[in-house]
Amino acid sequence: MPRLRALVGSFRQQAFHFLSAPSWLIPNIIAPFVITMVVLLMYQEVTGSVILYAVLGGGMMGMWGNTLYASGYSIQSERWWGTIEAVLVVPSSLIWIIAGRTIWNALIGVVNGLLVLVISVVAFGVPMDIADPLMFMASFLLTMFSLATLGLLFSSAFVLTRQAGVLTNGLEFPIYVASGCLFPIALLPAWAFPFSLSLAPSWGIDAIREAAGFAPESSVWVTVLGSAPQASFILPDLAMVVLLSMVYLALAIVLFRVVERQARLTGELGRV
Amino acid sequence: MFAPLMVEVEDPVIEARDLVRIYRSSSGIIRKRYKETLAVDHISFSVGRGELFGILGPNGAGKTTTIKMLTTLLIPTSGKATILGYDVQHDAMEVRKRIGLVLGGERGLYYRVSGRQNLRYFADLYGVPLHDRERRIQEVLDMVGLSEKADVKVENYSRGMKQKLHIAKGIVHDPEVIFLDEPTIGLDPQASRDIRRMTQELIGMGKTILLTTHYMLEADELCGRIAVINGGKLLALDTPTGLKSLVKDTSVIEVEGFGITDLEMDRVRGLDGVRAVSSTTNGSKQVMRVQVCDAGEMLTPVTRSLECRVLDVHVKEPTLEDAYLWLVEGHA
Repeated sequence: MPRLRALVGSFRQQAFHFLSAPSWLIPNIIAPFVITMVVLLMYQEVTGSVILYAVLGGGMMGMWGNTLYASGYSIQSERWWGTIEAVLVVPSSLIWIIAGRTIWNALIGVVNGLLVLVISVVAFGVPMDIADPLMFMASFLLTMFSLATLGLLFSSAFVLTRQAGVLTNGLEFPIYVASGCLFPIALLPAWAFPFSLSLAPSWGIDAIREAAGFAPESSVWVTVLGSAPQASFILPDLAMVVLLSMVYLALAIVLFRVVERQARLTGELGRV
Repeated sequence: MFAPLMVEVEDPVIEARDLVRIYRSSSGIIRKRYKETLAVDHISFSVGRGELFGILGPNGAGKTTTIKMLTTLLIPTSGKATILGYDVQHDAMEVRKRIGLVLGGERGLYYRVSGRQNLRYFADLYGVPLHDRERRIQEVLDMVGLSEKADVKVENYSRGMKQKLHIAKGIVHDPEVIFLDEPTIGLDPQASRDIRRMTQELIGMGKTILLTTHYMLEADELCGRIAVINGGKLLALDTPTGLKSLVKDTSVIEVEGFGITDLEMDRVRGLDGVRAVSSTTNGSKQVMRVQVCDAGEMLTPVTRSLECRVLDVHVKEPTLEDAYLWLVEGHA
């Protein structure tokens, strides 16, 4: 129960903080609009479902960027505000406090991703023929969960470093490319496959795209099986999302213990 | 003369035994150089139940480092500390349930949300029972006098209101032991008085309080016992009266003037019979306090050493500040 209280409390606090500043409009309304325009300009020569493929990738980019930046800066902000020490002296483990914030950030990431789709349809007239709406939403939600766990994993590093900005900038684009946001992973060099396949969002976007009705030739499974899968790959995709998310969660629990102790050893926690 | 060390008490709530904290830092990129700084050097003391215990010391003396170790924010390099019998290193969660930490200064609050939302958040983190949460929040808001502004964003609070919210945040879970780290720093006299009143109210409720401060009058007015630390070492530990008795054979010549220079202060400091010299600013005037063994004998040499414009000269009884200066200037 105390863990749940800490998680819910920090989720609510993050929500209040987020909504209290009008600057949230930039990453969550304006940025999705810009991303959609860029994607559509890049793919202006092609027509039909390829556009939807790209738009879904753009939505995923919005989700990942939002989660990564919000996770990084939520710890950095605690340093700037001088609240990190007050948070570390409470009888709740830091991981539950950060988890509450990360879940809110991931939720906003999903809203951001969905906005890309809505803007594509409403403002740019992209045809949105979703083959399996139920699986589409399930895939979106599980991908959100995987983003939250990935954000939590990265947050453990942000506790130790004062360079959250450098880390988030460095992590943003490699993951856009490696997770197949804009083009199929099969187009990447083979040495990049292990990294791509270890990212839950790679499997999440794969499930989202199949639920939207894309042919299996562009699936992540091509890199594993060597050819396009013969059966539906949504459920195996989602199983991989859940499995990898659990691995991230387990790693985050261990890492948070280590970094929390390290922060108390070095005494550099509150330094801005 | 030796500084007294009243280290032991009956029914200790806070116990520090030989606490040491060394900070390690590095510089350079290719050829790293490591430097160690001894921030707290084998400090021992106990604080009894319901006691208001003060720690006095100049900037960098080790006050905040000591509080951070006692509140589990820092792991001691060596030594041991317990709160209500729980080890700060090994039973950190048990310690945290029972303590409240109040930091001074502008930072440490969520500015973009209201005072009530700040308190609700910390009540959740401390696990205040849900059915009791709103009642408890209102109780602490009433106690610190912030009820009317509870739903205003913290960014619109004055400095004094922020400090009151800091206190409310530190006691929202009704802890048995409260750590106040320079709670009146930067406050105007009215706000400082309010904070002192709240501190006394908390003692009236049976709380045990450890307070660090720079303000001698505050320490003299509030604390049952005071530890004076400097350079990480415990110099003295006694009641305010006991500490003042360290300088009972001393008189203080107080000189008010304009433009008292460091050179003049050094000249006074070098006179035979002068024990300590300090200076404060009061508006456009400076006030120099000179501790001497015999005021009648030293009055003329002191005033003759000054070339500045002297407005007034008084001879006064020594205060806690004089005892403190005598200690931190290396006489312990």
